[in-house]
Amino acid sequence: MAVAQERAAGPAALQRRGRFRPGDAILYVVTCAAALTGVVLLALITREVLTDAWPAMQKFGLGFLTTQAWGDKHNTLFGAKSFIFGTIVTSFGALLIATPLSLAIALFLTELAPRWLKSVVAPLIDLLAAIPSVVLGLWGILVLGPFIVNTMGPALHGTLGFLPIFSTKPSVGSNMFAAILILTIMMVPIISSICRELFVGVPSELKDGALALGATRWEVVRGVVFPYARAGIAAAMILGLGRAVGEAIAVTQVIGNNVAIHWSLFEPGDTLASRIASQFQGAATALQIASLVYLAVILLVFSLIANLAAQLIVRRVAGRHQIR
Amino acid sequence: MKEFGTRRKRPLGVLSILVVAVTAVAVSVTTGAQARSNAGELKGAGSSFVAPLVSVWQQKYEASKGVKISYNPIGSGGGISAITNKTVDFAGSDAPMTPDQFNACNGCVQLPWALSATSVMYNLNGVKNNLHLTGPVIADIFLGKVTNWNDSRIKKINPGVALPDKEITPVYRSDSSGTSFNFTSYLNTVSKQWKSQIGNGTTVNWPKGVGARGSSGVAGVVSRTEGAIGYVDVAYALKNHLKFAAVQNRAKRWALPGLIGIKAASLADRKFSSTNALSIVNPPPGKKFRKAYPICTYTYVILRTTSPQAALLKPFVTWALTTGQADGPALKFQPIPKVVKAKGLATLKKVHS
Repeated sequence: MAVAQERAAGPAALQRRGRFRPGDAILYVVTCAAALTGVVLLALITREVLTDAWPAMQKFGLGFLTTQAWGDKHNTLFGAKSFIFGTIVTSFGALLIATPLSLAIALFLTELAPRWLKSVVAPLIDLLAAIPSVVLGLWGILVLGPFIVNTMGPALHGTLGFLPIFSTKPSVGSNMFAAILILTIMMVPIISSICRELFVGVPSELKDGALALGATRWEVVRGVVFPYARAGIAAAMILGLGRAVGEAIAVTQVIGNNVAIHWSLFEPGDTLASRIASQFQGAATALQIASLVYLAVILLVFSLIANLAAQLIVRRVAGRHQIR
Repeated sequence: MKEFGTRRKRPLGVLSILVVAVTAVAVSVTTGAQARSNAGELKGAGSSFVAPLVSVWQQKYEASKGVKISYNPIGSGGGISAITNKTVDFAGSDAPMTPDQFNACNGCVQLPWALSATSVMYNLNGVKNNLHLTGPVIADIFLGKVTNWNDSRIKKINPGVALPDKEITPVYRSDSSGTSFNFTSYLNTVSKQWKSQIGNGTTVNWPKGVGARGSSGVAGVVSRTEGAIGYVDVAYALKNHLKFAAVQNRAKRWALPGLIGIKAASLADRKFSSTNALSIVNPPPGKKFRKAYPICTYTYVILRTTSPQAALLKPFVTWALTTGQADGPALKFQPIPKVVKAKGLATLKKVHS
């Protein structure tokens, strides 16, 4: 902490303390420029997005959020309702599957797996994150879609069909469930690798102490590892969520791109990012472009809320932890 | 908060920054040099419909004239965006530009340079190729009113064909597509409900079914979904061995999207709009159009009237309108009629550097 504060004082402070170091000065200028570029870029993007969306914001106002339409006969009516619904359903659905899966993977690799197995499995799971999303989307069309239609969908509909989310049988592989599974595959490496780091960071004295008191492995995990890593896990989940909310290409390939709100996950839908990706190029009218950018504004607000929530959670949970 | 590296390591850090900076400069210099060496190249993007034909043109034109043509089949809408943003020298689009797009492009012209058809393809195990479909039935399938393959209306026009009890899944293009424009323009002419509720365009509000990205996406979903129906340019359907329908024209004949059907439809509209657009969907029932396939379209090349590449561009487009047409039939592109060629050559005169 002390070193960081000293750096923050800038080259003037460094100079006063002794001879002038050109390396430090260069480092300061370069890093400062990099940091400022980020801020300026964010401001410029926000301004650009707001300017471009303005015609649509003026025409539709906040009613845009509650209108379910995308281009009527005259291409004059647009609304985001079904895309907001699709974004929330697919990203939270993926989070619901990815979180326990990632926790299990991280626990196994840090607490239970023999070293040789860990050294093989861990890098492979991280490699999942390296698959380009367009490739994942193709796999979704060619493999996952038919699998959902022929095997998974009928099975889930047959056993859990009383739940609204499985109330219809899938007739085509492009549906919200496929999007959720694709997003899960994208989230797992992110959440699991962060959780692994967190679990490794749990002091071994705490775990050894609990074991010495006669706790089982599971009790150690529940009583020591999870509480210690709580803030980090929450942050990891929100990072994963951010990935899912913003993913465009893979989702647009598998979700079915339909302007509709269905409670059944086996029906097609669409998300904010997917709609922007599929229709921005070559939009037919100026109003359609403005409406697409309006979707981008909503997406920006979503990510902003998610990030703020992440910071808030981390701060609160971390604070509580320190007091204890 | 973790502490930064120790002081001893700092020179290394500065060094690495310098290395990165030098590499960045070096890379930018080399890419700059590459860009300069490609002065004799024309860049295009857009319609995937016309892409098979353009790829033959690329090879032949480079071999005979030494000018390299690159073409990126990102879809008609993408092509219009690209020429509007001046990132390409020419764009391909199967849909004529809308007034808004013309305004945005500011100084663009379009001219028809190729002619082909959109096929209505389907995936039904054990059902023969070239199933009969009428315009109103296709429209009602995409409106969600005809939902099963054993619907009496489909049975009636396919006597002797065993149609399965299978839900119909319409598949459409989710991106901005000239093929969609061609298909919806046709549905507009055959269904009052389609015209009043949906209309035509490169993207429309599809009431039923699922969207897929690009011709390949639509073909991918259709070929993996039993009971699906979609639309794609005929060259693509043939190349990928997809089954496609024989569609009834207004002379009450079952027409296939072949060269004969396209040729017969090609002169259904001789009156160019002020922007050089022609619409030849669903030709009238006259004797001349007896063999016409009803879902045909001209596809357009879009150019900037003031183009720094005009000296290379004009000979290429002229070649495509004349010599290049001979490459069409093998790919189910019917050579454009004389009047269309003449109009194109006249329009090309407006392009200068």
